[in-house]
Amino acid sequence: MPEFTPEQIKEELTAIAAKLLDEGKVDYFLAYERGTVPFKTTPLIARKKEDLQRVWVEDYFAPNLSVYLKEIRGRIGIVVKGCDSRSLVSLIKEDQIKREDFHVVGISCPGQIDLRKLAKAAACEPEELEEIVRKGSEVLVRANGQEKTLPKPQALLDKCLRCRYPKPLIFDTLLPGEYVAPVDLENPGGTDPATFLKDELRGKPFPERWAFWAQQFERCIRCYACRNVCPACFCPRCIVEENLPQWVSPLPTRGDNFVFHLMRLMHVTGTCTSCGECERICPMGIPLMKLNEKMTDDLKELFDFMAGVDLEKPLPLRTYRQEDPNDFIR
Amino acid sequence: MESKVEPEKKEKSWEPRILAILCRWCSYAGADLTGSSRISYPPNVRILRVPCSGRVDPLFILKALRLGLDGVLVSGCHPGDCHYTAGNYNARRKFVILSRLLEYVGIDPRRVQFSWVSASEGDKFAKIVSGVVADAKALGPNHIFRGEFLDPPAPSPSRPNQ
Repeated sequence: MPEFTPEQIKEELTAIAAKLLDEGKVDYFLAYERGTVPFKTTPLIARKKEDLQRVWVEDYFAPNLSVYLKEIRGRIGIVVKGCDSRSLVSLIKEDQIKREDFHVVGISCPGQIDLRKLAKAAACEPEELEEIVRKGSEVLVRANGQEKTLPKPQALLDKCLRCRYPKPLIFDTLLPGEYVAPVDLENPGGTDPATFLKDELRGKPFPERWAFWAQQFERCIRCYACRNVCPACFCPRCIVEENLPQWVSPLPTRGDNFVFHLMRLMHVTGTCTSCGECERICPMGIPLMKLNEKMTDDLKELFDFMAGVDLEKPLPLRTYRQEDPNDFIR
Repeated sequence: MESKVEPEKKEKSWEPRILAILCRWCSYAGADLTGSSRISYPPNVRILRVPCSGRVDPLFILKALRLGLDGVLVSGCHPGDCHYTAGNYNARRKFVILSRLLEYVGIDPRRVQFSWVSASEGDKFAKIVSGVVADAKALGPNHIFRGEFLDPPAPSPSRPNQ
């Protein structure tokens, strides 16, 4: 299989973007640039050709750029990973964006590094990580003068372990690269495939589950980062900021956080593609993906629906069948 | 203020407060029929009338729990009987997702219950309300959010949703 270096991919991407901007086919081009913090990338909104010098494709391009689409007006070129393309499909289905306004450039993704996991493995703070090197199916991490080699499942974001669509579902141009899932679910290496993504919480009794979630909700500081970063959250006025009537108090109490998080989930039901941005961005490290995954699994089980993979299938909460589950109703 | 009852005293005389969200066409008329048929049911429910079960935003249910109501009952027309053709079918999808999520975060499913009650089922309404009240009594007061630095305002009996 031919190998592609990041330089090649970057060259190709810059050429495509420059052409689009030159010909006036797009007003903006969304890509990644190197962040000011090590191992982090910042979204790049290129307006002119010169901006494209800052494009960065080396590694760690975690952010899901589709979140900006609802804010930027005009024709846009955008770089998407396989998972991000599902958000695009979702947004098109929700009538938030129009397919013809976008030039979508697909990029291959080797799986995104989870800095929290690495920091935990190296017993340090994420800021103290010094070097991260990918070596085939392993990731080498160096911090505080110590080296550690981790198998991929212990170094990548959880969503990457579940990756089912490494190749973008919609695109106009596809960059060269290998479009394969970062982890083979059948043989993840070093971990039992039956257990490594299981949510043990689901089998536990109510009080234990509430004890867990009460503690998580208590930690939430209501910064709304999870909402702002979510491509599926697009209400012009968020329910938590509504003040006549005020449904949710802005104070970060356990009760109001409970209402906020459950409401956030209900609002993204059917649109959430489990892109994992909410959990990645959460400053308190609340495991929000547990909730999202539960909702996603329920949709799959009850309505055979998977968000962001099919442009034709109606959204689950906008349709119904007479034989929908009814046994929970008295 | 009168609502500040001593905790122990409050416990002793504790009666569950239930919010019943009823659809205007079937369940509300069903509840009305319960009364006009002189069937008695526990006085613990406070009824909120909505145009259709499809109008029930999951937020209503979550807010009720957050305000400390001990149980929530949502009731609408039987499938196929909706005045607006499909309001209850659409609502059912929302409810099943919500109830599963609530269960997942550890809220007992008996706290939030759903039913279909038609305008002619006065006896069924009484039975369901008795069931919900019995469940709430078995579960005890809704202390899910107790002990926070800001307790939710105690809902007054006349205005349970305030």
